[in-house]
Amino acid sequence: MDYLINISILFSIYAILGLSLNLLVGYGGLLSISHAAFYGIGAYTTAILLTKTNFGFLSSVILGALLAGIISLLIGLVLSKFKGDYYALVSLGFNIIIFSIFLNWQSLTKGPFGIAGIPKPELLGVDFSDHFSFLILVLIFLALIYFISSFIVNSSFGRVLKAIREDEVAISVFGYNTFYFKLIIFIIAAMIASIAGSLYAVYISFIDPSSFQVTESVFILAIIILGGLANLRGSILGALFLIFLPELLRFIGFPLEIAAQMRQVIYGLILVLLMIYKPQGLIGEYKF
Amino acid sequence: MIILEIKNLIKKFEGIYAVNNLSLQFRKGQIIGIIGPNGSGKTTLINLLTGILEIDSGEVIINEGITISKIQPYQVSFFGLTRTFQNVRLFEQMSVLDNILVVLTERNIFASLFERHSEYHYKIAKDILQKVNLWEKRNQLALNLSYGQRKLLEIARALAMKAEIYFFDEPFAGLFAAMREVVFEIIQELKQNGKTIVLVEHDIGLIRNLCDYVFVMDEGKLLAEGKPEEVLEKREVIEAYLGE
Amino acid sequence: MNVIPQLILNSIIAGSIYSLIAISFSLIYNVTKFFNLAHGVLAIIGGYTVFYFAQILNWNIYIAITFGIVFAGFIGLILDKIIYLPLRRRKASNMILLVASLGIMTALQALLSILFTNEFRTLSRNINEQKIFQLLNGSLTQTQVIIIFVAILITIFIVLLLFKTQFGKAIRAISDDDEVAKIVGINTDKIISYVFFLGSAIAGIAGILMGFDIGIEPTMGLNLLLKGIVAVIIGGIGNVYGSVLGAFVLGFAENFSMWKIAGEWKDAVAFILLIIFLLFKPRGIMNK
Repeated sequence: MDYLINISILFSIYAILGLSLNLLVGYGGLLSISHAAFYGIGAYTTAILLTKTNFGFLSSVILGALLAGIISLLIGLVLSKFKGDYYALVSLGFNIIIFSIFLNWQSLTKGPFGIAGIPKPELLGVDFSDHFSFLILVLIFLALIYFISSFIVNSSFGRVLKAIREDEVAISVFGYNTFYFKLIIFIIAAMIASIAGSLYAVYISFIDPSSFQVTESVFILAIIILGGLANLRGSILGALFLIFLPELLRFIGFPLEIAAQMRQVIYGLILVLLMIYKPQGLIGEYKF
Repeated sequence: MIILEIKNLIKKFEGIYAVNNLSLQFRKGQIIGIIGPNGSGKTTLINLLTGILEIDSGEVIINEGITISKIQPYQVSFFGLTRTFQNVRLFEQMSVLDNILVVLTERNIFASLFERHSEYHYKIAKDILQKVNLWEKRNQLALNLSYGQRKLLEIARALAMKAEIYFFDEPFAGLFAAMREVVFEIIQELKQNGKTIVLVEHDIGLIRNLCDYVFVMDEGKLLAEGKPEEVLEKREVIEAYLGE
Repeated sequence: MNVIPQLILNSIIAGSIYSLIAISFSLIYNVTKFFNLAHGVLAIIGGYTVFYFAQILNWNIYIAITFGIVFAGFIGLILDKIIYLPLRRRKASNMILLVASLGIMTALQALLSILFTNEFRTLSRNINEQKIFQLLNGSLTQTQVIIIFVAILITIFIVLLLFKTQFGKAIRAISDDDEVAKIVGINTDKIISYVFFLGSAIAGIAGILMGFDIGIEPTMGLNLLLKGIVAVIIGGIGNVYGSVLGAFVLGFAENFSMWKIAGEWKDAVAFILLIIFLLFKPRGIMNK
């Protein structure tokens, strides 16, 4: 039972990541392969603040999101000069640059040794140190993020985003300064990813740079493409699949040591198969 | 009055003049045709005026008041201009209704974030879509429409802008008679409402029937201008077309 | 001050490896026009193949090397035939191809991890017994001398191939305009598959050389590839001389910046260079 709770926590965190990336890729049409960087910014901010200062969990979430917001603003400015596959390439470059910072700014992040002993959060007097109550906390966050994402995509802003995705030049002729729309959604997506990172840091209580490499960004991308781009429920579905499915493998006997790699082989293959056979994924409303 | 004037407009591509020192005046309330052989710069001109291509040099004067030499696409609607595209550029993976709604809603980012369903916009979209017989198809994706329906949707989208000047780039191309009628009527109705329409077309019959004034372009330059009957008789014009 | 000669030598060694990746990536990019992010892992596959045959099966080292090169080329060919070609046939966008290549990279990388673990493996059995050459106050190992020679040889080979053979002419025709190439009767699919074999084999050579020099581990493919891409962009896309030039510019920039900045930031330097070039000199040094 505890096992199920743990998987569900992971699922929820990845669902949040998926929702945020879907806003960017599925609705905005911006193929970003840098999401793990903002995930990491949230994780490290929370980890550092909770282990070295008196800041509480919620404050660390907010500060992490703010930091992610500022950094995504700068990165978003650079990315705005690129389109399509060049956008993807440059975003991947930024993932590597930020990973490099996690790895090498050792005085802050302890580099490859990582940060251990991250305490479980305590909010409003409630202690979330047992897994069940933590799951409730994460699910609340997931519901909140889902609500926000839904609010965004069902607004006029969401419709404009989709038009930008379809034909940016055409929609701009009709009076939209697309530069700002793209920048804002990039920042929003980054901030939400950071929140997921904060949750991850307190859940797993130890983080190191290896969780925030390009392969992680590719994993989140696989989640949303599998579930279906431009469909919020799709991101939930994709996370469900890609978190629970590999766990089934363990039941049929795959050794624990290669579990992580097996998951990687699976989602790598799934990505290829999706591109060839079903780029709109399970319930997607957009394919590129 | 001169609703739009172009002075010495120049656009070069790798040494070749697409628009070569062009000067034109568009009078308000007229249906103005721009004709000329392929490659004469007609579509380039529209692209320059709607900010899709950068002006190399020259000026654009709006409403005899505002002079600009650099145009950003998103400013164009503010100046009262809108357009359709020769190669139909719709928002493919969005519904017909959304294609119209998206040009009706808030331009400001923060306002658009908090704007949700609006009866007012919905009604406007409905009226326009009914005019082009696309209301029943409002939930279909644009990419699933027939060619003629796509062209009509583009025109509907332009109508939704309630602009002062409409640039229609070959709106009749590839349309059957029934749809041509619809477009014909729309253009005439616009004129009745005091709007200005600039029409790039190849169909000489249409030019004759619709336009009040015609510009003939060739190799980026103005070859001739005047009323359709006069212009279409001119020898240079006939030669330009035959020579291509 | 007497560190400079060694820095120069290190730059040349790095530039040599990068030029192999850059040339091979460039060859494939020019005929397919998409960023094949799986290219780097093919280099590592070459290295591991040699590792497997030479150290596990104890074959003759030269046979193992030949096998490694051919096998890498073969895998590249297969990937084209079963994944990229079908996608190209239905006019898949660059982004679809890029994402497919990400999936391939992820799956293959994980597969290598499963087969060989993430430990660094070196291909040379007697790493301390290598001959050292002294050159102008710096030193080179025998492997490193070989690296430089192979880079020169391959460069000459590719230049001759491209400009003195019919095959090369076909490649250049496809690179210019694949539609026109088809019209004049070139079997573009076949030529492209050969290019995949050739490019992947050269990547394999790079991986094998690295294996002898510093060793290989499954995840280094992406980094290596990105260095290659940086080199191609610096030098100018589409230009084989540019790829080589860019590779050495990168090699020198990396190593000399290490003089003043700590070594761990090497990767970040490369990507910052990439972004600077893409922003300010996107056509590279060689292209007008």
